[in-house]
Amino acid sequence: MEGKIFVITSGKGGVGKTTATSSIGAALAMAGKRVAVVDMDIGLRNLDVVMGLENRIVFNIVDVVQGKCKLSQAAIKDRRINNLFLIPASQSDNKDVFKSEDMVRLGKRLKEEFDIVLMDCPAGIERGFENAVAAADEALVICTPEVSSVRDADRIIGLLYARSITPKLILNRINPAMTANGDMLNHEDVTDVLSIELIGLVEADDNVIVASNLGKPLVMINDSKAGQAFIRIAMRLDGHEDIPIQVPKSGSTFWRNIGSKLGFK
Amino acid sequence: MLNEIVKKLFGNKKSSSATAKNRLKFALIYDKLEISDEILKNLQHDIVEVISRYFEIDRDSLELNINKSKDSSALTFNTPILSAKKRKTS
Ligand SMILES: Nc1ncnc2c1ncn2[C@@H]1O[C@H](COP(=O)(O)OP(=O)(O)OP(=O)(O)O)[C@@H](O)[C@H]1O
Ligand SMILES: [Mg+2]
Repeated sequence: MEGKIFVITSGKGGVGKTTATSSIGAALAMAGKRVAVVDMDIGLRNLDVVMGLENRIVFNIVDVVQGKCKLSQAAIKDRRINNLFLIPASQSDNKDVFKSEDMVRLGKRLKEEFDIVLMDCPAGIERGFENAVAAADEALVICTPEVSSVRDADRIIGLLYARSITPKLILNRINPAMTANGDMLNHEDVTDVLSIELIGLVEADDNVIVASNLGKPLVMINDSKAGQAFIRIAMRLDGHEDIPIQVPKSGSTFWRNIGSKLGFK
Repeated sequence: MLNEIVKKLFGNKKSSSATAKNRLKFALIYDKLEISDEILKNLQHDIVEVISRYFEIDRDSLELNINKSKDSSALTFNTPILSAKKRKTS
């Protein structure tokens, strides 16, 4: 059976595309899928360091497209998680090094080799975005609960619709205490203004930084709330749509403190 | 903390997220009113084509504009008509 290509995109930079790509990819591979995560951020590669595979790069995606190596030579196998492969970006080229047609061709070959392909899109709406989206069957849009991020997500959603792709939304870096206080947009506010289906809610979690320090998959850190959220997103992508979306709750709010003083758990 | 809760209970402080949501709604509407030059050029081309089926017009002196005011935006198309075309009966 042919695989499926998801693009993970946001418009605005630094909102969690790379974190989401590596985490969802790892979770899907742990669930038994054959997964390729592809770094489309040509010239500014990051997925390799987040995954701790930076020392193993020999060939990259540009080499594959230009026929300098085989796809299998550029796909780095993760040694901790079976069936997880990274295709790194090149660090020396520009985003216009290839065209949409190149990506469509590469996409076809990726789908023959893998069950699921995740494309980590660069920020922006230019060539890099066009290329990442060119071969995609489906899209995940990621944003944070901030005005600028949501606005850029809206632009991206419009561009995806124009390509007949109906994306789903991941809301990342939620601060539950601020949300409870009314000082952060909640997920209903965001889905309301964007009119988009939600696929997961991820809270701000220091483990994201710890995991990237270590080059260790976030989903392998046991008590990481963000890691657990990405695992649930992966399961939902994998057809387990019945898994409920959990709304992050603040751990140490005023009310809980009062509650515990009164003897509630 | 207590101060904040009291403020909230008495409705003195509008939550900043409510402000954010409101601003977003308007920003997204305004964003979509923007039309790119390319679309405008294509539109102009199409309009000229349709009008020239019925009228002789001076293609060079026509103007296509979007006039934005505070709460509405209008598309205006200005062209002097040289003469009406005689329609062929088919
Ligand atoms: N849920 C989270 N909790 C805490 N920190 C996070 C979370 N998600 C992302 N971050 C941090 O935010 C920063 C940006 O994340 P990431 O690199 O995944 O974003 P990106 O969208 O890929 O950025 P770019 O647009 O530059 O490619 C990183 O330092 C990451 O550790
Ligand atoms: Mg990135």
